[in-house]
Amino acid sequence: MTKGKAKTRSKDLAGEGGLFPESVLSRISDKLGIPISEVSHVVETLGEVAQVAGDTDRIIEEYKGDKSALIQILLGIQRENRWLPSDVLMSVCEKLGVPISRAYRIATFYKAFSLNPQGRHQVSVCMGTACHVRGAPRLLDRVIEAVHIKPGETSLDQRFSLETVNCVGCCALGPVVVIDGDYHSNPAKKELEAVVSACD
Amino acid sequence: MARLKSAADLEQARQKILSKRDPTKPCVTICSGTGCHALGSDKVYEALVSEISKNGLRRRVDLRRTGCHGFCERGPIIVIFPDEICYLGVKPEDVPEIISATLSGNRPIDRLLYEDGDGKKIAHEGEIPFYKYQRRMVFGSNRLIDPTNIDDYIALGGYSALGKVLFEMSPEEVLDTVKRANLRGRGGGGFPAGDKWETTRNTPGDIKYVIVNADEGDPGAFMDRSLLEGNPHSVLEGLIIGAYAIGSHEGFVYVRQEYPLAVNNLSLALSQARKYGLLGKNILGSGFDFDVTIHRGAGAFISGESSALMTAIEGMVGEPRPKYIRTAVSGVWERPSNLNNVETWANVPLIINRGTDWFTSIGTDGSKGTKIFSLVGKVKNTGLVEVPMGMTLREIIYTIGGGIRQGRKFKAVQTGGPSGGCLPESLIDLPVDFDELTKAGSMMGSGGMIVMDEDTCMVDVARYFLHFLADESCGKCVPCRAGLEQMVSILDRICEGEGETGDIELLEEISEVVRDASLCALGQTAPNPVLSTTKYFRDEYEAHIEGKRCPAGVCKALISYYIDPDKCTACGICLRDCPVEAISGGKNLVHIIDQEKCTKCSTCFEVCPTRFSAVVKISGEPVPVVPPLGTKVARKKGKQE
Repeated sequence: MTKGKAKTRSKDLAGEGGLFPESVLSRISDKLGIPISEVSHVVETLGEVAQVAGDTDRIIEEYKGDKSALIQILLGIQRENRWLPSDVLMSVCEKLGVPISRAYRIATFYKAFSLNPQGRHQVSVCMGTACHVRGAPRLLDRVIEAVHIKPGETSLDQRFSLETVNCVGCCALGPVVVIDGDYHSNPAKKELEAVVSACD
Repeated sequence: MARLKSAADLEQARQKILSKRDPTKPCVTICSGTGCHALGSDKVYEALVSEISKNGLRRRVDLRRTGCHGFCERGPIIVIFPDEICYLGVKPEDVPEIISATLSGNRPIDRLLYEDGDGKKIAHEGEIPFYKYQRRMVFGSNRLIDPTNIDDYIALGGYSALGKVLFEMSPEEVLDTVKRANLRGRGGGGFPAGDKWETTRNTPGDIKYVIVNADEGDPGAFMDRSLLEGNPHSVLEGLIIGAYAIGSHEGFVYVRQEYPLAVNNLSLALSQARKYGLLGKNILGSGFDFDVTIHRGAGAFISGESSALMTAIEGMVGEPRPKYIRTAVSGVWERPSNLNNVETWANVPLIINRGTDWFTSIGTDGSKGTKIFSLVGKVKNTGLVEVPMGMTLREIIYTIGGGIRQGRKFKAVQTGGPSGGCLPESLIDLPVDFDELTKAGSMMGSGGMIVMDEDTCMVDVARYFLHFLADESCGKCVPCRAGLEQMVSILDRICEGEGETGDIELLEEISEVVRDASLCALGQTAPNPVLSTTKYFRDEYEAHIEGKRCPAGVCKALISYYIDPDKCTACGICLRDCPVEAISGGKNLVHIIDQEKCTKCSTCFEVCPTRFSAVVKISGEPVPVVPPLGTKVARKKGKQE
């Protein structure tokens, strides 16, 4: 599931013909005395949570609820949801019958997992040896300048997440930055700005 | 195609595939490995599809997307069969001409051909120096087959070694063959694969596992990725043969999730092999059962260590355990488990098909066969090269790699990944095999070969590796966890210009402890980058510590930039591009760098046009006095000296 899909689904819940038509939302808003925008935000979030929960069940089912597939299941959730919310981790553990400590240990040990929401666009600068000797640190400086966040951070508007990775296996083209799965070989400042501004 | 029920069925299937193929029919192959993909091979492929159909050539020309050819630097690569015309760096706009000139008119396009140092054009892939001196027996089929189509592999005789093993050889004979071939593990240690297989085979137990280690974590190495992506069936065939010899019915492929294309191509390969009866129950009607599960690694260098990898397969955090009992005896779920690297498995079908005499005729006394290296860094022709063991570093770097980029001077080559070492110019005639590299203080590792020139700082390289290893250390044992942290902080100090006399000796002392007292190979080999650089490049450490100077001009704290007033033409490029506005100047006024504001990002140094070369980098000396703001330039733009 991509973020986009979650949005559509939750809009279905809130919007016309969905579970909650506009009139229901305004009645809730009146009853609780909170603005309708907040009500629809809550409903949207509920939709997202329901979606993630549904995806989680499906992924667990793919591995037949096998405890030893915990890492694979978490990888599946991470890929679809882009991060691992604590309630999802807890529900996975409950369903597989493993202690939450094990899931937490895995989620903090491996680089693929994130315990915080990630940006819509993933920017990874390769810091592998081949890239390093061909100027990866300077490329990283340029990328930081272009996306205005440091490695390990996500922009406040959740537009970008920036990370450094140890090798993307593209050593002949180094230094390399990977933006949403596309590889860019040592882009100059202008090229980088063009790619970044094309990300919404 | 129907399920194959015998070796004869397999041969029949192969003949049938071949009968449908005309070797004289033109076939355009385009490399779709990760390197070429990054350089835009997808768009070139789309252009080929549309141009071929636009010209009504769909019946007369085959089009095939192959695995990695290895010459990644010059991608996207197109090879047109049967003449094997090789085009490098192809762009979508070149496609119409390729169709009209080469396919319809049989004329090569000069500008897309390889050009050697003397300006001579080379049309055939095999004659390009990068390929000519290689011996591509494991990696060679990549360029011929579409990895998503099992028929391509079968057409080349694929799975015939499996047929031979299942119907003509006993497991003991297979084991004996691999032992006599002296196949050593390509993943790093160089442990004889046959001995490992034998241990697992002889350990009592009904359930045994065979595992492919594709957790290629060494930064700078990507041969396993290219093999799995480009020829997954060769690895799979080797694995099934190994399983037969060992008596295993279940296997795992542990592959990094950072390699999505490898996971994808391998999954396809598994399902196609199952459909053909080459995997699963009763393989080729022989009565032998074997199947494979893919396990994706979640991003941890240490999980490539054999005991850690097996723990990860069990669904736990992949940390190593003491190996008083080898994993070959007690591995996944405490059952005998044999683990080999991707390249090792891919060698097995070759040995079975062509025999031990052939295999042992290649290589050196102790290291047989070939090895794939990823030749990267400051070398002209970067990419994957497969050479016989025993080829010298000089031949690999100069004859195949074409020497150092931009006419710079060779300084060192780093082999063996983060746990390897840096070898200086004095060792450039060293024959490359497992034992010689270890003797020289480095190691084979998985085959990364990173070339460094005079602009590479060896202290910075050691610091880079130690940062990597400290970051990837799982923290289970103290010497590795605490020792590496201390080494990192000393190296950081040296690079920051705060090194003290005695630091080198202190680094060496900690290195010995970490090497001798760590639990697993990560810690035991982690000091190698430091020990090899303090041994061969001690003068660079001394320059940093005593002279506060970085001879290569890399360590930011020890360098400064200034603009030579006699050369500056006030062109304004550096002033405009400086990200921190540290440069002042104006029309016809000498530009000046404010040393307080300068972050030493090197932008000005890089953008200053080479015909001016006004920005100067210095280290270990004070910045010369520059003229006051407002001084007019002496040299006018466009005027040559």
